[in-house]
Order: sequence, then structure tokens, then C-alpha cells
Amino acid sequence: MMEFIESKTWIEWLLVIAKLALAFIPVLFILLLIPMERRGAGFIQDRQGPNRSYIKIPVFGKIRAFGWIQNCCDGLKLFFKEIYEPKSVHKVIFSLAPAIPFGLTLLTPCVLPYFASLNFTFGDTVVHIPAANVDTDIGILLMFGLSSLSVFGTVLSGWASKSKFPLLGALRATATSISYEVCLGLSMMGMVLLAGTFNVEGIVNWQETHTWGIFVQPVAFFCFLLAAIAETGRPPFDVSEGDPELVAGYHTEYGAMQFGMFYMGEYGHVGINSILMATLFLGGYSIPFMTTADVQANFGTVLAVLFGICAFLALAFLHMVFRWLREFNKGKASNKDEINKEYLLYKIIAWLAVPVFIALAVVSGLFVHPESTIVNGIPVYGIGTALGTAAVQFLVLMIKTVFFCWIWIWVRWTLPRFRYDQIMHLGWKILLNIALLNLVVTAVIAKLVMGGN
Amino acid sequence: MLALIYFIILAVIAVGCSLCIFFTKHPLYASIAMVTTMLSLAGIYGLLGSPFVGAVQIMVYAGAVMTLLMFIILVLNGSRDNTTKRFDKVSIFVLLSVIAVACLTSIVLCHSTFAFDPATVRGGVDVTAHTLFNVSAGGNGYYLIVLAIGLVLLSAMATAVILARKRIASDPEKVLPEEVH
Repeated sequence: MMEFIESKTWIEWLLVIAKLALAFIPVLFILLLIPMERRGAGFIQDRQGPNRSYIKIPVFGKIRAFGWIQNCCDGLKLFFKEIYEPKSVHKVIFSLAPAIPFGLTLLTPCVLPYFASLNFTFGDTVVHIPAANVDTDIGILLMFGLSSLSVFGTVLSGWASKSKFPLLGALRATATSISYEVCLGLSMMGMVLLAGTFNVEGIVNWQETHTWGIFVQPVAFFCFLLAAIAETGRPPFDVSEGDPELVAGYHTEYGAMQFGMFYMGEYGHVGINSILMATLFLGGYSIPFMTTADVQANFGTVLAVLFGICAFLALAFLHMVFRWLREFNKGKASNKDEINKEYLLYKIIAWLAVPVFIALAVVSGLFVHPESTIVNGIPVYGIGTALGTAAVQFLVLMIKTVFFCWIWIWVRWTLPRFRYDQIMHLGWKILLNIALLNLVVTAVIAKLVMGGN
Repeated sequence: MLALIYFIILAVIAVGCSLCIFFTKHPLYASIAMVTTMLSLAGIYGLLGSPFVGAVQIMVYAGAVMTLLMFIILVLNGSRDNTTKRFDKVSIFVLLSVIAVACLTSIVLCHSTFAFDPATVRGGVDVTAHTLFNVSAGGNGYYLIVLAIGLVLLSAMATAVILARKRIASDPEKVLPEEVH
């Protein structure tokens, strides 16, 4: 056992264990997705969305934080509600079922890289730490295998509820997710074929040196997008919980945090699929036109540009706040004082952020010049540069992911729910054929262009 | 050492769950136990240096086949059929044959040079690809068999689709107009 522990230096062990925290990122997406969903729905339907809950603080009065407080209230409510179950349910499976999709949300992203592998010099040694928690050459297959298990949660909950509507909802959910998983796998295979590896980091590396997946596999991208939306069972594909027909589908009989776990599982799944789409088709963590080595060599410039963008965003936020307040103060609302006091806080924060970001940009542009040592012909930098690069790449991936999350919400509040036979028709007769054809064409072209390998 | 500990845990789960498949009354429990068996088998494949086979095991068997099986159990309401006796006179022969197979397997295992070495890659992606799809003249020609299996599966699927229709070569949308809402 001691040999096993001593096979790595302490910094390696620390980073490998700290990396496990990455498993929680899709779950943390719930914090972003729920306000985004609610306020996004409000935006699309031309209303405000839920933003009335507040925290009262001394000087600035009622702080609503653009609807985030409302979210915290809803979460707290779910946590403190009594967990109940109907009399006739099967107790063990009924309470076990919600844990399956939620647990798999933590387990599934183990192969996803959120940044490039860390290579840095530490003392005399060169440390290499793979980006994904499970660094294996079957990468994405393992991920699809694990995510296909989450349907058991649906099936078991539907059966254990001992009620007609959950059972019907579970059957529909199973059929939808099985048929769309086929499309999902097939449309992803084009990228795997081009990159020549199942390893997700390998796919991102291929995109870094060649071009983004969406440009070489546009058809596969749209197939993947459709299949991913259908597989999570969100509108417009939510026949499994269509409220006019099935009350609430497979979680009709659930309440409190048991329902909350289904809910979190669903949003976590949305987060994972968004990350996956960004990784497979939008270059993942890679910054456009720059490889990881370029980023590390020009780390100061990259940081300067990043902080510059942050300063610009803070200014844009200020512009929005001032414009909105001008319109608001022209109106006849009765709570003008309160709102102005609340927005004063936001204005102060943004005004503080702008000079801080500009100063950071100037300082990092002028003074950050990482020093490298050449190991095996490749420049290797210190631990600070490596971790900084990882943070920048993580941020880039999150921006791409949030874009896809917004597409999810956009589709949900734009399209009406499809009928069940339409979904099956789309899945088996249209999407599957397109994905299959795309795979064959990709294989032929790849063979002709890249030669046999 | 660590690999051996993992192996023992997974093996105990696999054997225990496969016993559960026989001794549970409800088919749904049996299928849950079977899923767990599949998962622990996948883990053992991974430990033995064949992660690809393990992932395929999870995807195909645990993910797709078992889901379909559960689907069928739910649709056909298989839970009603628990009046069949679990043990009767035939069971003695089954028991005897199981013991005989177990003895044979243990004799073979004791005499073979079975060494548990997790470091060797036996069924990774590259190894599997080179074994199955070696199209060079000196290769083993397994790719022909893979193609043949693919054709057989395709024809089986086509047959199933045709059989599922009420009349052969009928247009399903014309036959059942009342289902179109």
C-alpha cells in the first residue's frame, strides 16, 4: 500500500483528489439553469419571470439578485418539505429510484476534460496530470454507457408508484430514450472517426490542431442536438410527463426532495449534454486559433485580453442597468425608491469591477512572462502557469456550454410538445437514417482525404 | 493488491446478484439483479485490462437489452405469473449438473496458470480494432465474420419488422386509421 501512495508526489495526489470536485460541475449547473430557465421563459413570453423574493440588507434595502433569491427559496422549500409516499407504493424501489438519475449525473462526466492535461515542473520533476477524472482510451463510450443507465430510474419509479399515469410515463420515457440514444451514438461517431480516438481529450486535441467539429460535421451536429434534447426528455419531447395527458408522468407520486432529485437529475443531464456538445463540436476547452502551447507561451497577453473582456462586460452591464432605470423612473411605479436603492448596489459593484479588471489586464499584460524549461523538446512551465491556463480553458468551456444551455431553454419555450408517434417517426425514420448516412459519407471522405490508417 | 481487492468485491457482487436472479419471486427484481451482475462483470473486464469490452457490456447489455427487458416486463405485466413452483423433481438434475460444471471449472482453474495481472491490456480499443479489422492479406480475416454477423442481424431486424405488421407488406397507416388523431 505504501508503494501505491509513494508512486506520486504530494502535489500530484493533491491535484488528483481535487480534480474529483469536477464531478459536481453538472449538478452545479442547476444554480445557473433554473434562473436562466425561468427568466428566459419570461423574456420569451414578454413578462418578468419570478423575481419577487428578496433578502433585506441594511443600506440598500431589498436585494433580489435578478431572481436568484427566488431560486434559493424554492430550493429551501423542497429541502424542508416532508417526504411522503402513497400507501400502495413499493417502498424500497420507490425511494431508491430517484437516486439513480441523480447519482449518474455525478458519475457520468468522469471522462470529460474541463481543461487540457496539466504538465508542469515542480522542483526537479515534471508532473503530468490527465484532465479527466478517468483517463482511459474508451472515454466517450464509458460515458454513453453510464448515461444510458439513468433510464432505470424512470422505469423503476414508474413501476414502484403502482399507479397508471407514472407507469405510462415511464414506458414512454424508456422508449424515447432508447430510440434517441441510438441516434446520439451514431451522430457522435463521425467525430470519433475523424479524430481516430474515443478519448475525449484526444477529440479536443484534434479540433485544436485542425478545425472545430461543427465545420467538418454540420449534419452530425444537428442530429446530435436534436437527439440530445430528446434524450433528456425535455420539451418539446416531454411526452413522458406531458401534463394534459399524464398528470406529471413518472414522478406524479413523488414530492419534496424525491421529486427534487428527479428535477436535479434532469437539469444535470442538460448540463452534461451541453458540455458534451461544446466538447465534441465547438472545440471544447480550446480557445479559437490557439493551441494550449500558444496559450501558455503568451499567457500574459491571454490574461490581459480575458480581463479586458471582463471589463467590457461589466461596462455593458452598467449600460443596461442605467438604461433600464431611466425607463423605469419615467414610469409610474410605486416602489421607485426601493428599486433605485437595490440597483445602487449593483451599480457600485459594477463600477468597482471595471477599474479592477482594467488594472488586472494592464498588470498581467505587462508583468506576466512565464519562464519555461525545455523537456523532450517541449517547453514546460511552472505550476502557476499550468493552473492559470486550466482556469482560462475552463472558463472558455463554460461560455460555450452556457450558449448550448440557452439553446435548450430557447427550444423549450418556442416549440409546442410533439405527439408521441411524431417523436418515434422523427427518431427512427429520419434522424437515424441521416446519422447513418452521415457516418458512411464521413468514413468514405476520411478514407479518401486522410488515407488509410 | 488493490486490483485484487476490487476483484473480490466485484466478484462477490456478481455471484450474489446472479444467485438473486434465481431466488427472487418477482421478474422485475430478477432483472434489477441482472443489471447489477452485468455492471460488476463490466468492472471485472475493466480490471482484467479490457476496458473496451467492459464499456460495451454496460452499453449493450446493461443499457439497452436490460431496459428492453424491463420494458417488456412492465408492458406484459409479468408479475402475475408467480404461481409456477420454483423447485420440482427436475430441479435435482439441474442441481447435479450445476455442481458438475462447478467442479469441472474449478479443476480447470486449478490446473491452468491463471495469474491476475491487471497491467496487461487484453481488450483495449486498439487491440480489439487490430484483431477484428485486420484487412491485410496475412491477417486472420475476422472482419469477414464481423460483416457476416452484421448482415445476419440486419436481416433479422427486417424480418422482425415485417412480422410485426398485421398483414405482410401492408401499409400500417392505411390499416389503422383510428390511431391517427
